[in-house]
Amino acid sequence: MKTTDELIQTYLDDLKSALAGADKATVQDALADAEEHLRTALESEKADQEDLAENEVIKGVIQTYGEAEEIAQAYLSWEQNLPPALAATPAARRAAGSADANSKTYPGFFGVFADPRAWGGLVFMLISLMTGILYFTWAVTGLSLSLGLIILVIGIPFMILFLLSVRGLSFLEGRLVERMPRRASFTDNSLGWMERLKQLLTGKSTWLGLLYMLLMLPLGIIYFTVMVTLIALAAGFIAAPVAAIVFNVPIEAISYGEIIWYIPDYLTPLIAVFGVFLATVTMHIARWTGKVHGRFAKALLVSD
Amino acid sequence: MIDIQETHKKFRKELSSGTVSLALLSILAQTKEPLYGYQIGKLIGSPLGAGDAKAKTDSVTVKQGAIYPVLRSLEAQDLLSSEREMTDSGPPRKYYRVTESGKQALMDWTEIWNETKTFVDNVLGGDYQ
Repeated sequence: MKTTDELIQTYLDDLKSALAGADKATVQDALADAEEHLRTALESEKADQEDLAENEVIKGVIQTYGEAEEIAQAYLSWEQNLPPALAATPAARRAAGSADANSKTYPGFFGVFADPRAWGGLVFMLISLMTGILYFTWAVTGLSLSLGLIILVIGIPFMILFLLSVRGLSFLEGRLVERMPRRASFTDNSLGWMERLKQLLTGKSTWLGLLYMLLMLPLGIIYFTVMVTLIALAAGFIAAPVAAIVFNVPIEAISYGEIIWYIPDYLTPLIAVFGVFLATVTMHIARWTGKVHGRFAKALLVSD
Repeated sequence: MIDIQETHKKFRKELSSGTVSLALLSILAQTKEPLYGYQIGKLIGSPLGAGDAKAKTDSVTVKQGAIYPVLRSLEAQDLLSSEREMTDSGPPRKYYRVTESGKQALMDWTEIWNETKTFVDNVLGGDYQ
């Protein structure tokens, strides 16, 4: 006779194998939804059907939920309608403001300014230096302290705490970068603490999360530098006519020894036009980087 | 040989793919409070499943589990919003509510539904003899 926990787990396993090959995020969504439903339904229907054994109740609940194969199909057909990574974070949506109304497509070269994904990518790239430093410091400090202390009694518990923090941070970062909300990390109560410890130490997600934290520093430096440079350049070009015409600052184009050629004032608006072009290119780069980084983060942070 | 049972299933699935979205949007617009998946499933199942347990599982056009991907899809389109709430027992629940654009979509979709209904009714009623 199987317990209710085992029956639920069997169903979740079936669902997972029925979804084999699907997007990781979809699999997580499907499993989280199923677990939420089955457990909630069990709680509520147990009270209604007191005469039935608990595992009879859960069988009924699973039946009304639908066969794993069928439910997997439902997720797969809806998957195509979901936006990709970094798409619809609330922050990005707020940044886009009124652009919400036509949030379907952003056609054309300049449409990128109305795309919340581009603004999301921009903000992400600018803060990535800070988060990169934090993650890297945390990972390196934790790792070296863990290894250094391992010969002492406190070494092992310290290491466990550190690895747990890596898990937690990976989950938070995943929430930030990936299409979220993701599966909340409720623990499997049927496992003993030794099993859980083994999972923590041997689980791929712990070490991939650590790797991500280390890689975020170089990536953060690149993202931040590229973005700040591009934004500063674009802003400088756009401000050129103001500087030249309003503040009378000559714009130097070519200098060869003593000979300096200044751009005539009436041509400076052209520089501003180029600045606007550069700003738009910057937004495209931000959107593209956001997309690529989202995929990268998903590969490392969203566990199977 | 074509399995007649399979054909029915396919037809049912094709029909439900749009109507479930409409139904979910409408249910969430009618209830003032945000609901979580299980509650919505109960509401969808109840008018048809008032009878015995067998009728309940057979007649409901949509399996309760199939509601969730639709909810997620509606959320991704900004028609619903959700928040997660912790519970004392069991996993956290995801509560859904209708957004402003969801309310607008519901009105438009209801219009489309009425047109479709009239069209199908007319055809089935023999208007094309």
